[in-house]
Amino acid sequence: MRNTGWTALAVLMLSACAQQTGTESEEAAEAAASEDTEIAAKTAEKDEDDKDKADGAVHPPLDPYPSTYEAYPGETVLLTGATVLTGAGDRIDNGAVLIADGKISAVGAAGDVEAPEGARTVNASGKWITPGIIDIHSHLGDYPSPSNSTTSDGNEVVNPNTAYVWAEHSVWPQDAGFTRALAGGITTLQVLPGSANLFGGRSAILKNVPSRSVQGMKFPGAPYGLKMACGENPKRVYGERGGPQTRMGNFAGYRAAWIEAAAYKKKWEDYWADYDEWVENDDDDKGDAPDAPTRDLKLETLAGALNGDIAVNMHCYRADEMVQVLDMAKEFGYKVRTFHHAIEAYKIADYLAENGVCAAMWADWWGFKLEAFDTVGENVALVHAQPGGCAIVHSDDALGIQRLNQEAAKAMADGRRIGIDIEPEDAIAWITANPAEAMGVSDETGTLETGKMADVVVWNGNPFSVYAKAEKVYIDGALMYDRSDPKRSPRVDFELGLHDNSFTGGAGQ
Amino acid sequence: MIGATKKAIPMKTFTAFIAAAAALAGAASAQTVAIMDGTVHTVSGDVIENGDVIIRDGRIAQVGADLSAPAGASVIDASGKVVTPGLFAPVSAIGLVEIGAVDDANDASPAQGPMESFPLGAALNAIDAYNPSSALIPVNRAAGVTRALMAPSVGPTIFAGRAAVIDLSGRPNSVTRAEAAQYVAMGERGAERNGGTRMGAWAVFREYLDEARSYHANPNDYVRRPHDGRFAISDLKALGPVINGEQPLIVSVNSANDIRTLIRLKNTYRLNVIIHGATEGWRVADEIDAANISVITDGLYNLPGEFEDIDATLKNAARLNEAGVTITFSEGAHNIRLIRQHAGNAVAEGLPYEAALKAITLNPATMYGLGGQLGSLEAGKIADVVIWDGDPLEVTTKPEAVFINGRPQDLNNRQKMLMERYRDLERGDLPFAYRGGE
Repeated sequence: MRNTGWTALAVLMLSACAQQTGTESEEAAEAAASEDTEIAAKTAEKDEDDKDKADGAVHPPLDPYPSTYEAYPGETVLLTGATVLTGAGDRIDNGAVLIADGKISAVGAAGDVEAPEGARTVNASGKWITPGIIDIHSHLGDYPSPSNSTTSDGNEVVNPNTAYVWAEHSVWPQDAGFTRALAGGITTLQVLPGSANLFGGRSAILKNVPSRSVQGMKFPGAPYGLKMACGENPKRVYGERGGPQTRMGNFAGYRAAWIEAAAYKKKWEDYWADYDEWVENDDDDKGDAPDAPTRDLKLETLAGALNGDIAVNMHCYRADEMVQVLDMAKEFGYKVRTFHHAIEAYKIADYLAENGVCAAMWADWWGFKLEAFDTVGENVALVHAQPGGCAIVHSDDALGIQRLNQEAAKAMADGRRIGIDIEPEDAIAWITANPAEAMGVSDETGTLETGKMADVVVWNGNPFSVYAKAEKVYIDGALMYDRSDPKRSPRVDFELGLHDNSFTGGAGQ
Repeated sequence: MIGATKKAIPMKTFTAFIAAAAALAGAASAQTVAIMDGTVHTVSGDVIENGDVIIRDGRIAQVGADLSAPAGASVIDASGKVVTPGLFAPVSAIGLVEIGAVDDANDASPAQGPMESFPLGAALNAIDAYNPSSALIPVNRAAGVTRALMAPSVGPTIFAGRAAVIDLSGRPNSVTRAEAAQYVAMGERGAERNGGTRMGAWAVFREYLDEARSYHANPNDYVRRPHDGRFAISDLKALGPVINGEQPLIVSVNSANDIRTLIRLKNTYRLNVIIHGATEGWRVADEIDAANISVITDGLYNLPGEFEDIDATLKNAARLNEAGVTITFSEGAHNIRLIRQHAGNAVAEGLPYEAALKAITLNPATMYGLGGQLGSLEAGKIADVVIWDGDPLEVTTKPEAVFINGRPQDLNNRQKMLMERYRDLERGDLPFAYRGGE
């Protein structure tokens, strides 16, 4: 079931509302699995139905800033003769990928995939093909280029709990960083609020397609994420501003918020129960419909995290803190989906795997803070090597996002040196399938599997090499970047007419 | 699956030698080493397939093909390996910083402490704070970096202070050249310290040089005259070799217009200038070349990150090199080992391979007047040598042996020790704190 946090929260409420009316319940479930617009339409219908009965229930808006993204036109293309890494663990030498109607239509050995009539066949021998690269941790748009106080929109440093902010409301689609990332093969990214706060706010999952608005970039149907932060940052930022001043203060802050969120969640659930009871009541003098609780943006997001509709992304460097956070998650019945910047994940790789938590890591960053002192190059590989381990390579950086393939290459090489068997077809998952899974979009993207979005990168060689370049990047089957073609190389508004930098090879190259 | 991590790495003769050699690393006298049959990138000359490098008494004794190992030499079979000079990081805070955000573990950045009124800049001398025991040194040494310029980071005034060339042996006497360069931050970083304008920054830059000239013309006379106190005598004193054109002045600038202004002032004051940054350097590459200025740049930077970087491009290094400019690549402190990733990416953007290798070996040595001693594999030069398990510019490659001053280096480091401690997470008879660490 795929839905946004908003829709999911509302759907839960819809379900609660419709418990005694089976058809509506099914309708709600069906709606949850379909397009947002359909959900909205169905909800509107439902509202109409309710109006017949009474004044109607109060629904928080299902998806108030809906995605307007539509795939751009693409050809039916057969890319053949390449080394294909599917992202699902397979490597196909002399393989082929057929893109049709914006989807992966077929993947297999070169001879086994036939070009349908009208398809263009591209000889891709010598090339490597991977799924579009996914960065689970970016601040593009929120900390755009150019960087200055007027564009710094990534950290709402006013309160340790700003779960009420949504990263998408800061995203400037004219950030040139998006185009540079595209030239690095990035097709999907999660833009997170910064890490100053215990609760930073909601993330936005975007398709890396230039647009006039962030809505035009939003990944249709992607769930929301919640950004949280451990350790040094919150206590440093708030230590002299009323706290938290300590790590125990951090935890007290998280726990108080979860208690408040649980109460809020129950208040809405009670409201829906009362409302349903009121609807079912046939008495003429049943009175007015119950009053809906007042909406609270902060608690709506936290309640969404508690019921699992919003994925919890927690910035946490230290092993001991991650272990404590997992106990807290059990205490309040939520799930941590991914620890970000998990410098010390290797110390508890077994525990993370047992708890089904992903670790998003850098290949080699270290030492900028004390909690980042214990980096090892084998971190990613050691997390990967655990049975059930989920390793992700992330960037957190407008330059790093452009070469996640190189970061994965370093991590792979370091793992192999200590005897962990990691092949390119395994390591590619760290920057494709695994982040897709952790972000809740793996049914749509992250691997080259039939029926998925045709988010595809054609590399000029083995992407686990410093010399490899993304030559062509397809998003939903549309050729959005071609390293050799100025007409397929986006330039944001900000870049136009500044100085004399005419086309220099694509996307700011 | 975790069991796989326990699999022993096949111990080749080669690595066995390195282990033995590393044990001797602390020995007082350097031994004779013969590195045989590797692909030798001399950097100064041709690439020698099946080449040999003979190291004796800390120097490179011979480089060539079909050499004979001297009697008594430790022989390393480098067949299938690549041999290069040690890497040279041209500007960094290594040796001055342990943890960036911890004040008492960071001696590089006065701006991070309560130093707003701190009066000195140019007078600061990196060797005063140099910590050769820093954990950063073995980590970067194990990645093939053998020399670095250890530079103060800019504080309240535009002049950051005097930088030193060090080797990464971690030995107490590892300063190659003290006061090898002075550093000054101009461009946006200069402007924000001087009333918010570039005019202010350049005016103050000129004032410093004029005052330094005045001081050095007659120090006794200068100190007796009344002053408004804006220029510390010790700063002016430290700028002596800069105004003489003897000491390289590393100037941080990025925009094409700042570079042009710098070139004008370089000619006026007859300075020995190295540019750090130059994100828009390619736009004025010919002018930089004509002014005989070397450039330390970032091979991975391509964003209009500030208004002085509007034309930043990954092709910057290739274009500067094409124009004849001597280039090199820098990284901050903890990861100066990444300069070879910069070089590799620059190759992917058109920089010739040998030029890229030269950029992270011989070029920095030349910039600091050490090109006759370091940076290439030539007879008579100091023996900083790295044996790689593959292409040194490739991100998946690692050194198998590192020599500094002819001495084989211990490649163990804090990160490796942490990894060894935790690679097997099976519960043992004692806690993890009892594991590893040797």
